[in-house]
Amino acid sequence: MRGLSLRRPASLDDFEGRALAGGTDLVTLIRDGLVEAGTVSDVRALLPRGLDGTRIGAGTTLADLERSDEVAEALREACRLAASPQLRNMGTIGGNLLQATRCWYWRLDYPCFLHGGDRCHAREGEHREHAIFGNELCASAHPSDPAAALLALGATIETDRRSFPLGELYRLPTEDDRNVTALESSELILHVEYERPEASTYLKAMDRARFSFPLVGVAAARYGGEVRLALSGVAPIPWALGSATELDEATPLPGTAYKLELARVLVRRALERVGA
Amino acid sequence: MLELTINGGRYALETDPARSLAEVLREDIGLTGTKVACGEGHCGACTVLLDGVPTLSCITLAGTVGEREVTTIEGLRDHPLVDAFVRADALQCGFCTPGQIVSASALLTRIPSPSVEEIRHSMSGNLCRCGAYPKIEEAIQNWRG
Amino acid sequence: MVEEDALDPWQAGPLETVGRPAERVDARARARGEVQYTADVQLPGMLHAAVLRSPHARARLVAINLDAARSLPGVRGVIGPGDLEPLTAEPNYHGQPVAAVAADSFREARDALAALAPQWERLEPLLDPEEAVRRGSLIGEARRYSRGDVSRGLAEADVVVEAEYRTQSVLHNALETHQSVCVWEDARLTVYTSTQFIWGVRDDVAEAFGLPKDDVRVVCRYVGGGFGAKNEAGDYTLIAAELARRTGLPVRCALTRREENLDSGNRNPTIQRLAVGSRADGRLIALRGEYVCALGWDGWLPSVAGPMKMLYACDSVETVEYGAKLNTSPMAAFRAPGFVEGVFGLECLLDELAVRLELDPLELRRRNYADSDPLDDRPFSGKNLAECYRRAEPHWARRDEVRSRSEEPWKRGVGLASQIWYGGGGPPSYAWVRVGSDGHAVVVTAMQDIGTGTRTAMAQIAAEELGLPLEHIRVELGDSARGPYAVESGGSSTVSSMGPAVRAAAADAARQILEIASQRYDLEERVLSLRNGQVMSADGGSWPLEEVTGLLEDAQILGRGARGPNPTGMRVLTFGIQVAEVAVDVETGEVKVERIAAVHDVGRIINPLNAGSQVEGGIIQGLGHTLSEQRLLDPRSGEVLTQTLDAYRVPTAADVPEIVVELLDVPDEHLTNLGSKGLGEPPIIPTAAAVVNAIRDATGADVRSLPVTREELLAALKEARARALAPQAG
Repeated sequence: MRGLSLRRPASLDDFEGRALAGGTDLVTLIRDGLVEAGTVSDVRALLPRGLDGTRIGAGTTLADLERSDEVAEALREACRLAASPQLRNMGTIGGNLLQATRCWYWRLDYPCFLHGGDRCHAREGEHREHAIFGNELCASAHPSDPAAALLALGATIETDRRSFPLGELYRLPTEDDRNVTALESSELILHVEYERPEASTYLKAMDRARFSFPLVGVAAARYGGEVRLALSGVAPIPWALGSATELDEATPLPGTAYKLELARVLVRRALERVGA
Repeated sequence: MLELTINGGRYALETDPARSLAEVLREDIGLTGTKVACGEGHCGACTVLLDGVPTLSCITLAGTVGEREVTTIEGLRDHPLVDAFVRADALQCGFCTPGQIVSASALLTRIPSPSVEEIRHSMSGNLCRCGAYPKIEEAIQNWRG
Repeated sequence: MVEEDALDPWQAGPLETVGRPAERVDARARARGEVQYTADVQLPGMLHAAVLRSPHARARLVAINLDAARSLPGVRGVIGPGDLEPLTAEPNYHGQPVAAVAADSFREARDALAALAPQWERLEPLLDPEEAVRRGSLIGEARRYSRGDVSRGLAEADVVVEAEYRTQSVLHNALETHQSVCVWEDARLTVYTSTQFIWGVRDDVAEAFGLPKDDVRVVCRYVGGGFGAKNEAGDYTLIAAELARRTGLPVRCALTRREENLDSGNRNPTIQRLAVGSRADGRLIALRGEYVCALGWDGWLPSVAGPMKMLYACDSVETVEYGAKLNTSPMAAFRAPGFVEGVFGLECLLDELAVRLELDPLELRRRNYADSDPLDDRPFSGKNLAECYRRAEPHWARRDEVRSRSEEPWKRGVGLASQIWYGGGGPPSYAWVRVGSDGHAVVVTAMQDIGTGTRTAMAQIAAEELGLPLEHIRVELGDSARGPYAVESGGSSTVSSMGPAVRAAAADAARQILEIASQRYDLEERVLSLRNGQVMSADGGSWPLEEVTGLLEDAQILGRGARGPNPTGMRVLTFGIQVAEVAVDVETGEVKVERIAAVHDVGRIINPLNAGSQVEGGIIQGLGHTLSEQRLLDPRSGEVLTQTLDAYRVPTAADVPEIVVELLDVPDEHLTNLGSKGLGEPPIIPTAAAVVNAIRDATGADVRSLPVTREELLAALKEARARALAPQAG
């Protein structure tokens, strides 16, 4: 990449520019000009990695999580069904939570709402893979399976400066602020911690058997008599549902109505799976 | 100066560390067995091993490899999998084949007798447009010859 | 020179080498990453070209600054509209080439494109194929065909089924992208290119540059997949050649994967309005088809109506095919162009008819079996479709058991579809066989091997004819300066076209060897033969071949062979059938294809091992366009949205069903000295219809559009449920 400066900091305290761990999204985003970066810092080996009960180092790869017996079923399954083996080997959980949408208009750098423009090309155009919730201004879909799982698992994010619930990492883009994530400048995710459920699951509908982003992914986690639900692929951010009936509040587009059908079925099945 | 260990050999290269590992392998060192078919991490043709872990070299910046050992298809040319692929006819045009063998070799290191499900799950990141998948699976099952 | 008609056909069944499984002669080298594809060609001083492509489906270039690019460091050459034929200032599809830059590195070339600062006037694109037909925006004339009286036939029929089917744009996406490296030596040009047709590239390039054909050398020893899209020189070759000419340096022009998804051809979408009328017993009376093919800005009209005209005995058939000219990327041949789409529509239509008639779908096919060519009554050179149907019976008989394994929410079913295709190949094609004093042989050709195992098949044929072990045969290919003309590797024509030429050349060499042997051993030539590396005489004598060839010392034997004509007055076609078993999750629309049984008749099989791979590969590619592949355009602007391999989803290892392959391996006794037809395309043809028919069997849902996405199937399931609840129509 022309002009990209790659640093290898000795510690997390002195990294400059963008943090690079697995790079499975960031590298291509920079190459495609979708993210500005003059400098990236290779922090892969510096990030905390591994599991301590329900506390996960942000540098833990999806492959690590897929292979761990300790990890709650929803997260383990979400990792297992995500991406490809190589991408799971490379991609970290921290990076995965921050990945950008796969909306083709956004990825092809159309001057769309999410890029700071004034219209959502997907709403008016080809949107079969797009959102059914939170889609008034931007119809992009959030592609992360683990994010939905962690949202249902009541996860907390611990950065280099604060801790907050995972739900607060995400926001719908607005006229004033088109970001879908709420990290501060150069803030670094260090750990993710979730609440161990009594039962959890992740169900995913995709276009081929593997290596495909979620059309709809449903994570369910049961805590006592209460079940938490979160969906991937249905909104610009991972989408928590208070209950199955909240599906009635969906605002599908003509080409995404089928996603609502899928969501109803998968939510019902996920609830059954966790014994709700 | 970029220092890399590739197939057991040590290399020192004057090059931009922000170039992809695939580019450095193919153009600077002449190891063209690793193929680039998409350049963005979607097809698996560029798969190499970093410390034995299947990794996409097209989206790996050369400067991030560090001390990790790089293994390319050239480093696996005497692996029994090569003969297994030949016997099973597990290739047609052959463009994806180096990546397939690299991924498969890592699977077999981890699980010497994988089940069909394990094979399919572990190999689903290596696309083959010719559709040699059934025979690739057979080759992996019969790798010992 | 031996014209291959002079040779006796070999007997059926496995011979010494031909008809037996053999490992690919180049498999080890390919597997080890040791062979050089065009993508691996690196020449000293080689420049890299980047292409500026139209971002709009239709536009006019108002301004462009070529000089700004020229002045950038690393940039060695820049060309724009007017400098080279394919570069245009009035692009008519998203991705059409406009300008090109050659630089020391691809990155520098790519960055220089921004400096060109093109300014566009956007124009309204024509994107709707039906609108194009209405307006008369067509490539070529509408193609019309008629036999019998369809209107009357439909009126008299006991049952009429009418339906509209749609197929999508499918992209080849071979793993090696389209690319060439061009280098001039004075006025002679060498083109390294990833191609299916070395000689076609030679002609295209010679014409484009006004060169004598033999001043263009085309080299292509290994190809990373073609599937029909690499039959021509392509813009990238001409761009590389022109930039090489201007800079005096070798130039590589390689499409990126995104450019591959933009502008390297596609299987064109179709809209098919079909009707069939039959008697109550299932015999067809009339077939009608109106086909709209969305060809794009350029291309040609494939024979999508071919199956309807040719597959079944039906007295009245009327078809019209339109090739809509649109502001989209031009179509290119893709593995059985037209017939994949046409068989999908026809075989689904017949299946819907079978349901209406309450007739077994296999029986329906049988009742309409064509014993001679329905087009003009010509006899077939060899048609064994009835035997294919017979061999399909055990697979077809599984359907009760398959259905019984349905378990909520999964419903299981079985479907079938027939296959028909051209397969005879044809002249011209030439080969030489060179034998030296060590008794080893080299088959010298200038054909290509696009991954289908051509090298191995030719080696087997030569080995068989010369009585040599396979290890003593080498095959040269891939260089127009080092061998005679060969047909393209497309249209399933390589084995059927080159194979007989190779056999003829080997026979010519064998004859010359026996001539020497007859003098050496003082025996008549007619009592001598070659077998097992020996010269054998009819009375039991045998001598090692090297004893005879050793007499050559430095001299060589050169056998020459040519492909003769196809049998006159006969139709040469291939046939087959596939039976698919699927499981459908009726709540989510997920489809799992669990098993495909494929029975194909393609004449003599040279190498059963490679042949099985071809069938599996074709089926898997067929499953791709059946279930998950589609090139999507923004509906208003006509711009391509699926530009990457994560948006354009081809099958992975996890998508593969159990595949059972049966090849009849019955030589076509009228076709050449081999009796082999082509196998490259037949296996992809019936897969989609077999799967869709299995979905119907499992669920009652009529899917009429490919790919069978979740949304498509959920809608069809809903409609089937409504139909089941509604009172019967009168």
